Amino acid sequence: MKRITLMVLAAAALLAQRAVHAADGLEAGRKKAEEACAACHGKAGGKPVLPNAPVLAGQQPEYLVHALKAFRSGAREDPLMGPLAKSLSDAEIRDISVYYSTLPGLHTKY
Amino acid sequence: MNAFNLATAGMALVAAFAAAGALAQGDAAAGRDKSRICAGCHGIQDYRNAFPDVYPVPRLGGQVDVYLEKSLKDFRSGARKHVSMQGMAASLSDQDIADIAAYYAAGSGK
Repeated sequence: MKRITLMVLAAAALLAQRAVHAADGLEAGRKKAEEACAACHGKAGGKPVLPNAPVLAGQQPEYLVHALKAFRSGAREDPLMGPLAKSLSDAEIRDISVYYSTLPGLHTKY
Repeated sequence: MNAFNLATAGMALVAAFAAAGALAQGDAAAGRDKSRICAGCHGIQDYRNAFPDVYPVPRLGGQVDVYLEKSLKDFRSGARKHVSMQGMAASLSDQDIADIAAYYAAGSGK
């Protein structure tokens, strides 16, 4: 019984720690996004300011990671996104992508 | 941002507005029919693209029409690389692209 209680406590602690990490990442993503992306993609990524900038809010997070890494490597070329993505670390790319994916915006349409 | 980046950004901005002004008028109703071919991947919630890279296909519902047009035209010309999307876009006319973009950009319905 004691062992089970310990195990439950350990699992709870692990989950709590994960939740804190996720919240940290989300907050870091929001900060970085407002600093680097909002000028063109709009505040909260829902209403782009630049006419050919896409909506980011609600996008698939892994797709955003893929796109940012492609801009960073030069596999996908864009005069604005290339230099911007080159300044981002893997962690920043992940945080920004997860942040935008949590906002209301894009949806699957068929 | 240094002077060169600023100049590049300025030129991109001018080009973006110029491109936005030169768009073909898209017909969302026609785009609905023409988008049937897209639905096989983009119409399935969280559908994962398996080739050439594994990641979920982007959500298109509610996306900016100008961005969708640019993406399809870049795939068609080969400026943007993605084996399946280059194949898909190859057969589309400017009008098809405008219609499909109008369909995905329109409203919040399915």
